[in-house]
Amino acid sequence: MSEESLRAKSGRSARRRAWDRWMGRLLPFSFAIAILPILDMIYWIGARALPTLTWTTLTTDPTGLSGGLYGPLVGTLDILALSTAISTVLGVAGAAWVAEFAGPRWADVCRTGANLLAGVPSIVVGYFGYFALVLYFGWGPSLLSGSVTLAIFLVPYIFRATDLAISGIPRDLREAALGLGASRGQYLTRVGLPVALPRILNSILLAASIGIGETAPLLYTAFFNNYPPTGLTSKTGYLTGLIWNYYDEPAHFGTEVTLAFQAAFLLLLIVIGLNVLVRVVSRRYERRLRGLFA
Amino acid sequence: MNPTLLEGAAAPKSTAVPDPVITVEDLGVTAGSQILLRGVNVRVPDRALSAVIGPSGCGKTTFLRCLNRMVELTPELRRTGSVRYRGEDIYAPDIDPARVRRRIGMVFQRSTVFPTSIFENVAFGLRLEPDATMDIGARVEASLRRAGLWSEIRDDLDRPALSLSGGQQQRLCIARALAVEPRVLLLDEPTSSLDPVGTRKVEEMLSALRNEIAIVLVSHNIAQAARISDRTLFFYEGRLIEEGPTPQLFESPRERLTEEYITGRFG
Repeated sequence: MSEESLRAKSGRSARRRAWDRWMGRLLPFSFAIAILPILDMIYWIGARALPTLTWTTLTTDPTGLSGGLYGPLVGTLDILALSTAISTVLGVAGAAWVAEFAGPRWADVCRTGANLLAGVPSIVVGYFGYFALVLYFGWGPSLLSGSVTLAIFLVPYIFRATDLAISGIPRDLREAALGLGASRGQYLTRVGLPVALPRILNSILLAASIGIGETAPLLYTAFFNNYPPTGLTSKTGYLTGLIWNYYDEPAHFGTEVTLAFQAAFLLLLIVIGLNVLVRVVSRRYERRLRGLFA
Repeated sequence: MNPTLLEGAAAPKSTAVPDPVITVEDLGVTAGSQILLRGVNVRVPDRALSAVIGPSGCGKTTFLRCLNRMVELTPELRRTGSVRYRGEDIYAPDIDPARVRRRIGMVFQRSTVFPTSIFENVAFGLRLEPDATMDIGARVEASLRRAGLWSEIRDDLDRPALSLSGGQQQRLCIARALAVEPRVLLLDEPTSSLDPVGTRKVEEMLSALRNEIAIVLVSHNIAQAARISDRTLFFYEGRLIEEGPTPQLFESPRERLTEEYITGRFG
């Protein structure tokens, strides 16, 4: 039999390669379609926020028609810290239990529950927080009610990612730890959680950046005012609430609309900051874990 | 059940091991309707290397995993029969499986180093039961020496364990298992993913260790079993077909199946 040439034959394979080339050239355009609205939005918000954004804006409270963003900014950071802390404890502990200790039936119940919770609209979670925490527990509209409500909304994100991260650890590694005489708890704290840590941190920061943009869970639970919280039980301002209240005020009145844009700009900065943090942190840990999942 | 009766029943097959460290009686394992092991009676000698050979799927690994309760980590499996370590039933209700596994250590087919430093890998088992009087550094060094790894990595103890070569990682896993000073070491095809040099080093190490502790080595490699083991157990389709001193089993096997397997007619 004579040997066949390695050169590509004309016809079908040539047509395929041409198609391949064209599709390769089109791909950057689909990327552009996705990225352009985001760039436009940053420009649109920045153009309205930046010209009058000064240090004073960040250090004074809003005062009816004008003022700054101090109170809502502090309130947002407080809510963010509290709700992220609460949802991290609940989410990580719950996922660790489900992944390592729960029997298959309980694990199934918890995972389904988490999926259901993730599908509940945030305004419904807010309403639940209003009835359960503000009214029934009598916590009133407060930093605490708002943060706990938001934490309930965020738990599924951390729970699901942590569960996947722990369950996804190579079986060999778990058996190696147990084979050395580790209890399941020791396996979790010394091998499971450290190996899953990059993905858990990722999910915490993702939950934080989802949480920072939420308004609905807070409207009925933290209410809104212009000031930073004075304690767990005080009402508080927060940036998304300020945007919700101010963005449709008449533009010729004071600087309220500008304040709303400045609040949006700060939120963008915080979210971008969280994302950069995610990348830096997970890259550092991934270097340590390189070769483990090969 | 009458223990003396059972001993008597097991005796004809394993008279050659007078003072076993592990005694297996009528061991069976099923997965649903599938039978993985049945009617296995073995006495594992102390300070000797027992090799477990047989074709793929014959139950070698399942047998090994029964010896330190690792079999329980696969929830689908059901086990019957008894496994005793120095006379004590390791499956008795008041026995802590973690303690069993500290006495009866295990090394796996694929190296399973933890994503920490070389030192911390070896120290892992030692830190599980904190003991203020123990010199962890000395124990780590001693274990690495026994695993024949010390001279290669003595200056790199803080390096990530994952940066070692495959053969070094496997010897690190053996050092890690030795650090808790087990009386029995189970190895599940530890050299199957190593190159010839790595394999030779692991075999040299096992040859040196077999005078100190009991070793049970599952091997896919008949030549390896013949080279380094004192006793050989041949499994086929979930049953122990034949066991005996290695030279005897390889030179004059009693069973036709054994002879066919070791001469390469199947498997």
